[in-house]
Amino acid sequence: MKQSYVRDPLGEAKPMYNAYNEAMADLFKKNDKIVLLYGDFPRGAAGEMATKEYPDRVYDVGIAEANLITVAAGLAAGGKIPFTHCHGIFAVGRAYNQIRQNVAFDKFNVKMMLLNTGMLWAFMGGSHQTIEEITALRVIPNLVLFSPADPVETKKIAQAALDHVGPVAIRVANPAVPTIYQDNFPFEVGKAVTVTEGKDATIIATGISVADALKAHDLLAKEKINVRLLDMHTLKPLDEAAIIKAAKDTGAIVTVEDTSILGGLGGAVAEVIAENYLAPVKRVGIKDRFGQSGTIDELKEVYEISASHIAAAVKAVIKRKKK
Amino acid sequence: MVYQAELLNDLQNKAKTIRRESIRMIKAAGLGWVGGSFSQADIVTALVFHHMKHNPKDPKWADRDRLIVSKAHCCETVYAALGEAGYFSKAEFDKYGKLGAILQAHTERTAPGVEYSGGSLGQGLSFALGEALSARIGAPKDVNGRPIPRFRVFCILGDGECNEGQVWEAVMAAAHYKVDNLVAIVDHNKYQSGGKVVDRIDWTPVAPKFAAFNWDTVEVDGHDFNQILSVLERADKTPGKPHAIIANTIKCKGVPSLENKNVHFCAITDEIYQDAMKALA
Repeated sequence: MKQSYVRDPLGEAKPMYNAYNEAMADLFKKNDKIVLLYGDFPRGAAGEMATKEYPDRVYDVGIAEANLITVAAGLAAGGKIPFTHCHGIFAVGRAYNQIRQNVAFDKFNVKMMLLNTGMLWAFMGGSHQTIEEITALRVIPNLVLFSPADPVETKKIAQAALDHVGPVAIRVANPAVPTIYQDNFPFEVGKAVTVTEGKDATIIATGISVADALKAHDLLAKEKINVRLLDMHTLKPLDEAAIIKAAKDTGAIVTVEDTSILGGLGGAVAEVIAENYLAPVKRVGIKDRFGQSGTIDELKEVYEISASHIAAAVKAVIKRKKK
Repeated sequence: MVYQAELLNDLQNKAKTIRRESIRMIKAAGLGWVGGSFSQADIVTALVFHHMKHNPKDPKWADRDRLIVSKAHCCETVYAALGEAGYFSKAEFDKYGKLGAILQAHTERTAPGVEYSGGSLGQGLSFALGEALSARIGAPKDVNGRPIPRFRVFCILGDGECNEGQVWEAVMAAAHYKVDNLVAIVDHNKYQSGGKVVDRIDWTPVAPKFAAFNWDTVEVDGHDFNQILSVLERADKTPGKPHAIIANTIKCKGVPSLENKNVHFCAITDEIYQDAMKALA
C-alpha cells in the first residue's frame, strides 16, 4: 500500500543532476562558504550561474580526480565548504586514497558528488558503469553516503549534505528518473523512507532502483502479494533498525541496487540480518560482472535488475520464509 | 640580500637544536626518518622561526601562514620545531610514535601546529593548493584586480615523492590559477627510500620541470640560510605565478658520519647518538 507522500501516478521524469543543480543554485547563494569544484565536468545550471557571478568560488582542475578531491580537502581546511563534481567511477577509482586519507581521515567538510554511477549509465560501457562504489565507500570511516531515488529526494539530500558537518558522498545515477515523492515527504538522514506498507516481504532498494522496486510492488499487488518497500537513501549510516524491523514484521527481504551485490546494499543488509534477526535475503543487483553498452531497458534485462526480476526475487524469498 | 649575522647565527643554533631533539626523539621511539628529517631541517627552521606569520598560542588563527609537510614521514624535525616554538609541551617528544601520542609516526593534525595528515605521498601539494585558494576567495583586491591573499602556504615535498603523478596535477592547476601565495619547496636530497633518485627514476634536473609548468622556479643550497631567506622573500615579491624552490640538500645533514648515505628510516644506536650529539653541540 503506497504511503500518502508517494505520487500516484508518478510525477515528471528528470535527471537527478538537474534537480541537484536547482537546489545548489539556491544553497550556493545563501552560504558564501560553498565552493564548486569540477574535474572537467559539466557544471549544470548552478555551476554556470556561479561561474558568471561568483568566479572566485568555482574551480575546474581538469581531468585530475586525485587533485580534485585533495584540493577540496585543502579548501575545507581553509574554512570553505567544497562540493566536488566528477564521474563517480573516477572519484572512487582514481581518488580512493584521497577520499580516505585527505577527506575522511580528518573528517573534513567536503561534499563529493559521484555522478553517473551505476549500471544504467547505459551507453557508456563497462569502463564507466560503476559496480564498486557502495562497497568501496561503506568501509571508509567518518563518511556519510547518500543515494537519492528521485529529484525531490535529491534536493533534500543536497540540503542534508550541507547541514552535516563532515565528509559526505552522494551517488547520483545519470538517467531521468520519475518523481516518486511529494515535496513534503518525510526525509531524515539515516532513516529509510517507507514507500509502501505490506506484510508479505520487504524490498529494500536504493537510488534509481527504487522506481523499479515500486513497479515490482505494483506487479506483485496484482497477484495479491503485498510488500513493504523501503528507500534506503542513506547507505552510511545505514538504518539498521528499519532492516531488523522489516525482518521481524515481514519475514523476508529482497535488496535492490544498480551496482554490485557483493558488499553493496545487499551485502550491508545481509550483515545486519545475520547479526541481529535471521530472515531469508535475496540480493538483486550486479552479480560480480562488469557492465557493457546497451539501452537502459536492455541492461536491466541482461543484468537482471528490472521490475520483473525484482518481483521474481520476492516470490523466491517468500518461499524460503520460516513457517 | 645579505642578512644580519645575528639572525643567521640564531637560525643556525635553532637548526642544531631541532636536530638534537630529533635524534633524542628517534632514539626514544626506536626508529625514525632521520635522513629526510635532517635534510629539510634548515628549511623548516627558516620557515617556523623566521619567515612564516603564525602564533603558537593561537594555532587556529584563521590568517596564519600554513606549513604543509607533504613528505610527512620526515616528521621529527617538524615536531621538534613546533615544540620549540611552543605549540605543545616538549614532554611530547618522548611519546613520539607511542600509543595515544599526539606526535604520530607521520604528521597528523592531532598535533597543534601540524596542518596536514600525511603519509600517502604526493598529495600534500594539492592540499596546499586548496588552502592557498581559500586564502584568495573573497580577499580584497589590489590595483590590478588580483586578490591579496590572507595568508601564504608553504609545502615541503620530497624529490622521490615527485614520482607521484598527483604532484603534477597540483602543479598544473596552481599555475593555471596563478596561485602566487603557494610556495613549494623540494627537499632535493638526491635519495628516496629505495636508493638514489637518479637510479630509481631519473627525472632530474628538477628545476626545469617546474619552470616548464609555468612556476616561478629557483634553486638554492638548502643549508645556506642566506640563500633560503633570500628566495623566500623573493617569492613574496614575485606575483602571478606559484613558486618552486628547489633546495639542494644532503640527506642526514648535520651528522657527518651519516651524511649523504641513504639513511632513510633507521634506529639510532648508542654509537650514532654519541656521534650526532658531538656533531650538533
